Amino acid sequence: MHAFSYAAAVKQLAGVEFVGIADPDASRAADVAKKFGVKAFADYKELLSGDVDGVIICSENINHRPDVELAASYGKHIMCEKPLAPSMDDAWAMVETCKNAGVKLQTAFPCRYHPAFIRLKKAVESGDLGKILAVKATNQGKCPWGWFVDKKLSGGGAVIDHTVHVMDLMRYMTGAEPVRVYAEIDNKMYGKDFDDTGILTVDFSNGMFATIDASWSRPKSFPFWGNVKMEVTGDQGIANMDMFAQKVEAFYDKTMGASYEYWGDNIDLALVASFVRSIAEDTPAEVTGEDGARAVAVALAAYESAKTGKPVEISR
Amino acid sequence: MKRVGVIGAGTMGRTHASAYARMASAKVAAICDPRADVAEEVAKSFSARVFTDVEKMLAEGEIDVVDICTPTITHADYVKAAAAAGKHVSCEKPLARTVEQAEEAVKACEDAGVTLFIAHVLRWFPEYRKLRELVKSGAVGEAVEVRTSRGGPLSRGISDWYADLKQSGGAVLDVVIHDFDWLRTCFGDVKRVYARGLYESGIPRMDYALVTLRFESGVIAHVEATYARPSGFVTSVEIAGNEGLLNYRNMDSMPIVIECRAKEGMSSGVIVPESPTAYDPYYLELEHFITCLEEGRTPDVTPRDGVEAVRICEAALTSITTGEPVVLR
Repeated sequence: MHAFSYAAAVKQLAGVEFVGIADPDASRAADVAKKFGVKAFADYKELLSGDVDGVIICSENINHRPDVELAASYGKHIMCEKPLAPSMDDAWAMVETCKNAGVKLQTAFPCRYHPAFIRLKKAVESGDLGKILAVKATNQGKCPWGWFVDKKLSGGGAVIDHTVHVMDLMRYMTGAEPVRVYAEIDNKMYGKDFDDTGILTVDFSNGMFATIDASWSRPKSFPFWGNVKMEVTGDQGIANMDMFAQKVEAFYDKTMGASYEYWGDNIDLALVASFVRSIAEDTPAEVTGEDGARAVAVALAAYESAKTGKPVEISR
Repeated sequence: MKRVGVIGAGTMGRTHASAYARMASAKVAAICDPRADVAEEVAKSFSARVFTDVEKMLAEGEIDVVDICTPTITHADYVKAAAAAGKHVSCEKPLARTVEQAEEAVKACEDAGVTLFIAHVLRWFPEYRKLRELVKSGAVGEAVEVRTSRGGPLSRGISDWYADLKQSGGAVLDVVIHDFDWLRTCFGDVKRVYARGLYESGIPRMDYALVTLRFESGVIAHVEATYARPSGFVTSVEIAGNEGLLNYRNMDSMPIVIECRAKEGMSSGVIVPESPTAYDPYYLELEHFITCLEEGRTPDVTPRDGVEAVRICEAALTSITTGEPVVLR
């Protein structure tokens, strides 16, 4: 899903050499590599054996762990797509492996780099909003289909896919940790063997509460892929962030449809730039593997809550 | 012609009285408020009699209908008193502070054979009528997930009663009971409620709650209740169905915005967005009530609807307090 965007970022950034694209599907690797004018590898090991400092892993969720472990064994720094892994065992194992191998593990949470979020975080930290009491967030998108809806490869549907972005923003913004999760989850949008709808309620270590709408509830006809929104309530004020509000509303006769043409900053570019920077300057990853693991824990707790009908405590 | 006695001469009492006054088949016959001067002032414009005591108005006011527009904790007792006096009743939402009181009020009306109407006015707001019409017509297929939002700064009432969350039930019982009732008209009864909120927080003059409802039909609804906004009154509804999406935000639906230059002594001008309609929803709901009385029909908001709306609120407040989901059925 994001491989193309990250690849374009790598291509665009100064001081970075784009070595190549690896995919077990040789013809796919060749096609994409050609598009970016780089070398194609049908075997990850071939790429990893070469003169490469860092890799960006955009494989299916279930393959994040073996792919990260392989890259770490070659001593490469890693940025791994979110969700970090479909299980906590995998997630913490990946964190551990990279630590032991002495390589950086960065979770791909680009939303941290959006100027609107940076401004929101500043408003929270400055105390302008007073004590933060509650956050109402949505990450609603269109169904991405493909392997995202194949639980054997994804480990879950909309909830694991869309909980983690805003959960990470909440943790990063407040410094508080999620401690308790309740969720109502269902599959009625598509009626298939994957969750497409979820409302999570989360209690935090600082006493605030939050809800997250993690759903693939935007219809096919929706003029944009989806949204990332946060409404923060403090005892001295409120703040509303609509991350992709910087848009032109377009109506096209060619397709008889509407489209939101986003003109805000490219957050994938900023994310990749931070990964590159941390390698070049040998600084810790700005978004860590642990951040990725802690966000996944909330999504997994949500699945358990929906199954049991009870709130679930987050242990670690 | 129905002769109406209005109890409570505050904002809602005045709104209701002026609505009755515009109807051919209703007359504001009496205004009752313990503040004699306030009652007097409101009664004057309707040539209505003034009372400071409810029992006295019921006995001597020559009225057919009682309209209750008082603080929430008094509703159930006034409904029972009106029923005992054989008067039909319109009661402002919520029907009562608790489910138990609401059920008692309903029983009193049943026993007395009088009609009980609960003023869940949101049903008569044209945007909510349009949304319900679209949902019911299957415009977006089967509804799957619904989000609503409502609120502004804490309301100012007599003795600042809204600020006492134990009395008013806070933003849940006073504000989003509107959404709960309206959601029931769209999606049926609620099975399970989970909520977090500031009900027990003790923060002065503020409330905020996020409520998740699971309906028996399977629909999941997320309801935001706020008394935490510094300014402005905001409402929104989003209905995601398996064949489409409906989205409404009041602030994006203002057909007239009047903006005046700053007058002397003011640092900035004033912007006032408005959404006028030919008939206001309060008139429409009370006209419906009076018409039902005239024609001997049951109003669209039934006593059970009134009880169920309070039941969802009570479950949400319980969930906020206990941190556990509350299963209703």
